[in-house]
Amino acid sequence: MATENNTLILKAPWVFPTVSPVALWLVALVAAWAVLGQLYADSIRLLLLWVPHLAKGLQMNILTSVLAIGIGTVLGLLVGALELSQARWINTPARWYVQVFRNAPLLVLIFFTTYVFPFEIKIGSIYLPFPDWIKATIGLALPASAHIAEILRGAVQSIPTPQWEASASLAFSRSQTLRWIILPQCVKRVLPPWMNLYAMITMSTTLASLVGVTELLESAKNASNTVNRTDFTILVYLAILTLFFAYCYPITRLTRRLEKKFSFH
Amino acid sequence: MIESLLNAFIAAAKIIGLNYSFLLSAYERGPWLEGIGITIGLALLSIVSSLLVGIVVASLLTSGKPWLANPTRAFVELTRNTPTLVQLYCAFFVLNMLINQAVGGAQNNPLSAFAWVVIVLSLHYGAIHAEALRAGIEAVPKVTRESALSLGFSRSESLRYVELPLAMRFALPSLVNNLVNLVKSTALGSAIAVGEVTYASLMIWTQRDNVLELMIFIFLVYGILTLLVARAGSWLETHLRMPGYGH
Repeated sequence: MATENNTLILKAPWVFPTVSPVALWLVALVAAWAVLGQLYADSIRLLLLWVPHLAKGLQMNILTSVLAIGIGTVLGLLVGALELSQARWINTPARWYVQVFRNAPLLVLIFFTTYVFPFEIKIGSIYLPFPDWIKATIGLALPASAHIAEILRGAVQSIPTPQWEASASLAFSRSQTLRWIILPQCVKRVLPPWMNLYAMITMSTTLASLVGVTELLESAKNASNTVNRTDFTILVYLAILTLFFAYCYPITRLTRRLEKKFSFH
Repeated sequence: MIESLLNAFIAAAKIIGLNYSFLLSAYERGPWLEGIGITIGLALLSIVSSLLVGIVVASLLTSGKPWLANPTRAFVELTRNTPTLVQLYCAFFVLNMLINQAVGGAQNNPLSAFAWVVIVLSLHYGAIHAEALRAGIEAVPKVTRESALSLGFSRSESLRYVELPLAMRFALPSLVNNLVNLVKSTALGSAIAVGEVTYASLMIWTQRDNVLELMIFIFLVYGILTLLVARAGSWLETHLRMPGYGH
């Protein structure tokens, strides 16, 4: 009985043609919107009027998420390297940095960077404006860097110790081993969690709306308050949900595929 | 006694340039302390209900019946790939509005903003717990399930008495990690004016401009809460450890 079941399960993917889940989701989304289009033709027309405003918001989300992951990666690799150092006076502060920024709520960190940093920076006699969206980006980049430091440390520590010993016996120094032997192998292990982190940061960019950055969610809220109609409100929030899903789900799928692909090496 | 301790603390903080004088005004201290209580309440309620949701969703995911498993998978994917704040807005500004209209005005609506935060966080983290539990259930050796079935356990009994207790143990580290994130997410309540500690602080620093001072307190509050959750988790891990499984 059990073995019969097993063979059935094993055969299933070949028996039925495999359809990519992404495609299925897209079909479902298009169908849902088509149905909505029939029911809410009027408010869809309104929604189309608001598309430029919403697109501007989305642009801000993408910009902040890319900047945050960029800054976070650079900073995180640095902190991760410090964490891997064998000198205690170097790795202890790095570990504290990671602990603090991983355990603080993101929203609170964004409040922190927005309200504690000045609104302009004085360099010599020039005043440079320091807009809220950059502060929010920093608020997102700080925890991102702590996560990346942890990802890096985890990846380096997941490489079997005999490799260190083998390279030491081949007269590689510690830094040479790290550079030429360990880190190249880490790339594969770091990539999937790094992409996951990017998806998470993208979703967190909505928090910037709470400190007055006009990103997608804030634009949607503006639109819904301005139009002030029940059906439009439903539609605009559903649209936001769909947009985020359409942006993040492919990343998640790809991450999972890479995870599977790399897991045997 | 408490008053003099407070005064001593405020005087000491003033030396290093921190202004904690809001602690002396009962009008500000009251809501702020209440905010800590609300944060703890939000966290406790959401922890319990998210775990319940997680168990239900995980058992649906592993039920083996496509008509149960597929819609549940869709729910999990949708929840995991959209921002929690957008979900909260969809619940509070859309569903809550519809409920208000259905029952005839906000005064008849039994669901408060607090309740919506608990509902959204429970569903969101329930879906994430379910993924961890599903991995745990799949890590239970097939032989174990087959022996349970051969001993006359039904599919659901086997899940309840044999697989879930094992899966819980396998999934515990990631569950605890999720719960730590959940505690941090309670700060989202401030987005819809639930008076938890972040919101209460926001109200104070817009009046007094003492952001840094309050930030230190907020970080401490969340630090202590997440530490407690992590400690409870590792206590459970050692307490529930079975010889032959795991470490």
